[in-house]
Amino acid sequence: MTSTPTRLRFAAAVMGASALALTACTGPSGTTATSGTATGGTITVGTTDKVTSLDPAGSYDNGSFMVMNQIYPFLMNSAPGSPDPEADIAESAEFTTPTEYTVKLKPGLKWANGNDLDSADVKFTFDRQVKIADPNGPSSLLGNLDSVEAPDATTVVFKLKQGNDQTFPQILGSPVAPIVDDEVFPADEVLDDDSIVSGKAFAGPYAIDSYKKNELIAFKAYDGYQGLLGAPATPTVNMKYYADSNNLKLDIQQGNIDVAYRSLTPTDVESLGKDSKVKVHKGPGGELRYIVFNFDTIPFGAATSDADAAKALAVRQAAAHLVDRQAIATQVYKDTYTPAYSYVPAGFTGAIEPLKDLYGDNGGPSVDKAKATLEAAGVTTPVTLNLQYNPDHYGPSSGDEYAMIKNQLETGGLFKVNLQSTEWVTYQKSRITDYPMYQLGWFPDYSDADNYLSPFFAKDNFLNNNYDNADVDRMISEQRVTVDQAKRTGLIEDIQTAVANDLSTLPLLQGAQVAVAGTNVQGVDQTLDASFKFRLGVLSK
Amino acid sequence: MSSLIELPDAADDPTATAARGRSKAGGSLGRYLLVRFLLIFPTIFILVTLVFFLMRITGDPITAAMGGRLTPDQLAQRISEAGYDRPLPVQYVEYLGQVFTGNFGRTLTDNRAVTEVLLTYGAATLELALNALVIALLVGIPFGLLAARFRDKWPDAVLRVAAILFYATPVFFAGLLLKLVFGVGLGWLPIAGRAGIDSELALTGLGAPTGIYWLDAIRSGNWDALGDVGRHAVLPAVALGLLTAGVFLRLVRTNVIGTLGREYVEAGRSRGVSEYRLLAHHSFKPALIPIITVMGLQIALLLGGAVLTESTFEWKGLGFMLAQYLTARDFVAVQGIVMLLAVIVAVTNFTVDVVAALIDPRVRY
Repeated sequence: MTSTPTRLRFAAAVMGASALALTACTGPSGTTATSGTATGGTITVGTTDKVTSLDPAGSYDNGSFMVMNQIYPFLMNSAPGSPDPEADIAESAEFTTPTEYTVKLKPGLKWANGNDLDSADVKFTFDRQVKIADPNGPSSLLGNLDSVEAPDATTVVFKLKQGNDQTFPQILGSPVAPIVDDEVFPADEVLDDDSIVSGKAFAGPYAIDSYKKNELIAFKAYDGYQGLLGAPATPTVNMKYYADSNNLKLDIQQGNIDVAYRSLTPTDVESLGKDSKVKVHKGPGGELRYIVFNFDTIPFGAATSDADAAKALAVRQAAAHLVDRQAIATQVYKDTYTPAYSYVPAGFTGAIEPLKDLYGDNGGPSVDKAKATLEAAGVTTPVTLNLQYNPDHYGPSSGDEYAMIKNQLETGGLFKVNLQSTEWVTYQKSRITDYPMYQLGWFPDYSDADNYLSPFFAKDNFLNNNYDNADVDRMISEQRVTVDQAKRTGLIEDIQTAVANDLSTLPLLQGAQVAVAGTNVQGVDQTLDASFKFRLGVLSK
Repeated sequence: MSSLIELPDAADDPTATAARGRSKAGGSLGRYLLVRFLLIFPTIFILVTLVFFLMRITGDPITAAMGGRLTPDQLAQRISEAGYDRPLPVQYVEYLGQVFTGNFGRTLTDNRAVTEVLLTYGAATLELALNALVIALLVGIPFGLLAARFRDKWPDAVLRVAAILFYATPVFFAGLLLKLVFGVGLGWLPIAGRAGIDSELALTGLGAPTGIYWLDAIRSGNWDALGDVGRHAVLPAVALGLLTAGVFLRLVRTNVIGTLGREYVEAGRSRGVSEYRLLAHHSFKPALIPIITVMGLQIALLLGGAVLTESTFEWKGLGFMLAQYLTARDFVAVQGIVMLLAVIVAVTNFTVDVVAALIDPRVRY
């Protein structure tokens, strides 16, 4: 018979073997790291964004694009301080015929792995985007691209379906356009991150030196980059990823990181603004928040029993008179948003503020004007408005935002607002058919005014809110192909004025870009511009 | 998986009842172990099936991710391309087929091989579980002995209340309190992560790392990193470890009190054996058998607690990733992680059954 101590030893061995077996099952899958520890001059940036994929064909989100902006070359890019596209690794880029956009690359470009960076890589990049068309990818931005040709090693010709597409230079600097190495990336499928890192397929201002997905990235300056952004001010930068913005806030407060970029809560930003050890930097943001009106189902809408277009317009105008954007921005968002009186965000070429002149009292609310508008149209008050918002997609403060909007709309007794919230999965399906008025947020695909106009106000737009104005539709089509930039800007302004009169949507707030940095960090303000590209290369300390 | 073991009375003589136990059940050890082993498979199958259908009820991931930016037609096209518009049974059969061939697929939200996710983050969870187990043993056993020694006196009362508090306090609440006191208030310990940036880079850069940081730091002789890893490990390990420490404390106390009252202990006391020796040797050792058994069973509790602990402390392990993927409705990733957790719990329970059968022949099988 086996004694108890022997059995215990044997049992311990069994448990130990099991633990070892589990350990063997759980070791990391090797590493692509190449370097040791960070140096004293290293900048560390913290963020709550996530990287979906380092492959430009497999992601279309802020977190992934932010990293791509550091490691991949672009044909077009925007210099710090400007949203306008300029040649990056290209010598020139222009329309050589209405349907041909020709780009000449700088000679002698190399990838960090030593491969040649030439026109074949560029053609390969765009062909594979179209071919892969990943559901998580940005290939839809290439809707106007017919084909790509590479007649010689430094020349690329983009053949377009619609001529003189003035948004195409912006497309070449957008998430669909990071150039990839045709000797590393496969032509027909998304490549995993570790293979990209081990293949050293980088030719932007930085290369990735060490990579732990959504945990830590160590960037090291790539000296072969010859593009618009120039050599980075800091040779090594670390990017640390957080899941909880509270931890991000505590780490920037305690000096464990140098910069916190996306996304601190408004309360945290306000709190950090009072901390002498850090500085809050703000720049124009691309996010717009609206109320969308469904022209069929709002009060007096086309599909209601008492349809009356003039009364329906008066209801929309009265709502525009009553909202107090500054109060929402300050009280709910602690000034991390600014009032939006335009359909194109401030900072973009062509942005004007027609809503400021047309409604309210110089940007503030006006009950008197709202009352007069409804009376003039013969609308009996109070009018019942059914307003929907979403609590889980547009940020946790949406509830406070819409509670305040309800109060503002009900001021003066002109409206009675039934406020409802719906979870995102149902909300995004029901908004088109069931909601007369609802919350919407929008981030741009690229930094051009067209991206705030075509998706919303052209015929058959993605809102499906039954808004149809032939003049607006014509001007939207025209501005896309108008080569004369002054004339195009005039058209963009005219579209905004026309839509402000129709009030298809009611813009409320424009998001600000916010970064919090240690007081010894320089360069943050340079990169918080309307291109929405956070360039690590301008940071130093 | 629940254990069918009946825990023995530690004060009984194991060897004296061995034959009786076997004849009652009428089965062999081999048959018992075989049955326990085979039970692993239906357990995992049921869990995988439940997770598959429950996740599908909440909608498809493409709608969740892109519903606000696409027209209904574009959305429908993308859902169709990804195969999420097919009947659920078809998707289920396809998934089972993939699982049987060892293909867990790629995550929908960040395009990673699920096996890579399991391997990368499993090490972090194992490290946390081991750290927590050490805390549980360091707190539970000595204080359990102390409570038994001072039975019904004030130290016993205090420790019993403490034990109840340990396992009744939600782990995320304990974690937040620890962070506030020792991280934010006193500034003694880091509040998030497994290591500082320098240590992370150094340990990640090692050739063939285990992924268990303290082990990698020792292997590479990087003592700075070891200290840093240790500082980061304290708060998560304490938050999770105290949960199990409460169970251990009560268990040690109860079993040691049982053995302290046995006749052979009284005989030892009458012969002048010291109280310390009576407690540490003659009472504690027999009481250890059920503790080892329960220790295995606590793995399931630790893994459940790890989801909350890892999220609280940004300890990027399987629990943390499970919470992230659940939020993103990433079916593929969630299924893979839950399956691994189910395997770990099932295998651990099987191991416990084996251990219990080996060390205590009275176990009925």
